[in-house]
Amino acid sequence: MRKDQTLGEYLQSQGVSRRGFLKFCSATASLMALPPSAVAQVAEALATARRPSVIWLSFQECTGCTESLTRSHAPTVESLIFDAISLDYHHTLQAASGHGAEAAREAAMEENEGEYILVVDGSIPVGNKAYSTIAGISNYDMLVEAASKAFAIVAVGTCAAFGGIPHANPNPTGAVSVSDIVTGKPIINVSGCPPIPVVITGVLAHFLTFGTIPELDAQGRPAAFFGQNIHDRCYRRPFYERGQFAETFDDEGARKGWCLYKLGCKGPTTYNACATLKWNAGTSFPIQSGHGCIGCSEPNFWDKGSFYNPISAGMWGSRDALLGAAAAGAALGVGSAIAARARKKKAQAAEEA
Amino acid sequence: MTLLEFASGPGLQWALWIFVFGVVWRLIGALFLLARKDLSKPRRHNSVAAGLGAIWSRSTPAHAFEKRILFQHVTGYAWHFALFISVLFFAPHILFFESVLGFGWPHLPNTIVMVTAIIATAVLITLLIRRATHPVQRFISNADDYISIVVVLIPLVTGILAFAHVGGRYETLLALHLLSVEVMLIWFPFGKLMHAIMTMPARYQAGTAFGRRGVKA
Amino acid sequence: MSDLDAIPVSAEVTTGNVEPLLHEIRHALKRLAGGEDGTVIDLQRLPLAPGEEQRIEAVLGEGEVRAEINALGPTLVQETAYPGVWLITHRNAEESVIARFIEVTDMPELLKSQRADIESGINKLESELADSTKKN
Ligand code: SF4
Repeated sequence: MRKDQTLGEYLQSQGVSRRGFLKFCSATASLMALPPSAVAQVAEALATARRPSVIWLSFQECTGCTESLTRSHAPTVESLIFDAISLDYHHTLQAASGHGAEAAREAAMEENEGEYILVVDGSIPVGNKAYSTIAGISNYDMLVEAASKAFAIVAVGTCAAFGGIPHANPNPTGAVSVSDIVTGKPIINVSGCPPIPVVITGVLAHFLTFGTIPELDAQGRPAAFFGQNIHDRCYRRPFYERGQFAETFDDEGARKGWCLYKLGCKGPTTYNACATLKWNAGTSFPIQSGHGCIGCSEPNFWDKGSFYNPISAGMWGSRDALLGAAAAGAALGVGSAIAARARKKKAQAAEEA
Repeated sequence: MTLLEFASGPGLQWALWIFVFGVVWRLIGALFLLARKDLSKPRRHNSVAAGLGAIWSRSTPAHAFEKRILFQHVTGYAWHFALFISVLFFAPHILFFESVLGFGWPHLPNTIVMVTAIIATAVLITLLIRRATHPVQRFISNADDYISIVVVLIPLVTGILAFAHVGGRYETLLALHLLSVEVMLIWFPFGKLMHAIMTMPARYQAGTAFGRRGVKA
Repeated sequence: MSDLDAIPVSAEVTTGNVEPLLHEIRHALKRLAGGEDGTVIDLQRLPLAPGEEQRIEAVLGEGEVRAEINALGPTLVQETAYPGVWLITHRNAEESVIARFIEVTDMPELLKSQRADIESGINKLESELADSTKKN
């Protein structure tokens, strides 16, 4: 796709019919969690949309987010979206490497200054910036520079959005999130470990279509995908209401598909679209497969106690500490009783004298 | 640290420590009061029967006052019963007790617990209003009474809101519920809520003491 | 256990979302019959338990029209047993489902020939004719 072409022109030049284009728009609207009535609007916007430049930086990460993205379940639509954007730099997916690749990044940044979208996956170590570098440039420096010239930043994955696993206790590298470093630019957090692939493309599609920042929730996540918690959309919810819980992973309740609350499901405190969009081409999602939600799209999910602890169990400390408090209370009780008696005896003695 | 992380972590820890510390302190103090020798000659020897008798007689309205205190009596039982069901038989609560005590027990369906929780809240609000408006009740109430009612009322209300997902995001409501329970736990040993532990032993003790003197309790 | 199917997992789970959906369809049909606009429902936006989508399909049944569109992969347009209610399944070139809608309408927009396509068709036909006259 040439840069001066609109998406409509591009698709036409690829031999995509108007029907194909409308189908693409319906799927894209569905992808963006827009109501079907918005398809006409999407079609109009997409027909005249110009390709945004995207620079994708991978920092302290496991590549799981990119893996998730490349396994997203709508390859035709997604590849069209990727054709439609100009992915100018992604060091995992691009063929170029070394100085050539870095030069391409610099060039794209210059050429699209103030207009490109910066996608970041992975956290940024600030304990010692040398913990993670690309072509000799620390993640921190690269982020600060790339962010300063970007139109907006998409933090893909819980690491980029909230620090994620690198940030978990004891955080040896001093890992922080994008929003801990970058200020003054819109940041869209697409959290999840990894995020649902269609959510990543949905956000890119939103840029492509409308050229604007989608509505965000309190944590900076697109409200269309993160507006509701898993528990509210979970198909096992009726069992929760009836108080039918699986007690172990292989009991009668587990086989009957009962609620996983007792097995540590974090659905009630987790905001994501897994319960509706699902994973693996809409096949299933963790709860449907019999495992509770681990809350991977929430900040500090790794440090909130065991994945198998029920939410309501709380982290109340240890029994020993409670016994200690009891012992201290007993000591004080005995002490004050003895003191009271001593006072009384003294008073009696004084009276008798 | 988010509000929920504080409420389910350090907040809960401190509240439990203070609760256990305070309860044990007051209990030991009270037990020492019993250790005094009674030098008088007992009129009646079966003190266990006298103690149990007092528990019974004080849990039922005295005949002479039956009509006058009927409302108090019925609402009192309704409140305590509904509260016990809501606190002790809600599945997430049992999971909490299980994590602290090491054992659990069967739960009731959420809908039943919701009904009892709403009954408990309604009765408690009625009683609070009555206490504040009834001239005699007002006269015999002090700050402790009002504080004790309010610190129990708030966990009930926040619990219902959290369960029904109304008035805020679930984590926020859950955090508020936990925090309000923590306030209640901290207040418990030092105010009239301590009656939950003291009432029955105190009745028993009064019964035995009276029985020894041959007085009907 | 090697064979996952050997683990008995029953799925008589319901979200209670199927009935309301059917009522929504009924209301949409009434509006359509009354001369108002059609309605589109995105099936991927509904929390459904395993098996519930099949239940919806079974309840809606199959009607008289069944059409396949080949554009960016196959799309199946199926009129259900209730005239005016269409089930549209978009698939990509790899045949996996990318979107599913229930459309309550006289005729899904996608079935009509599109103005832009008609125009490019005219161009194509004209150049074809021009070619053949040249050859003769
Ligand atoms: S399985 Fe999890 S998300 Fe689903 S109802 Fe139970 S607690 Fe809620």
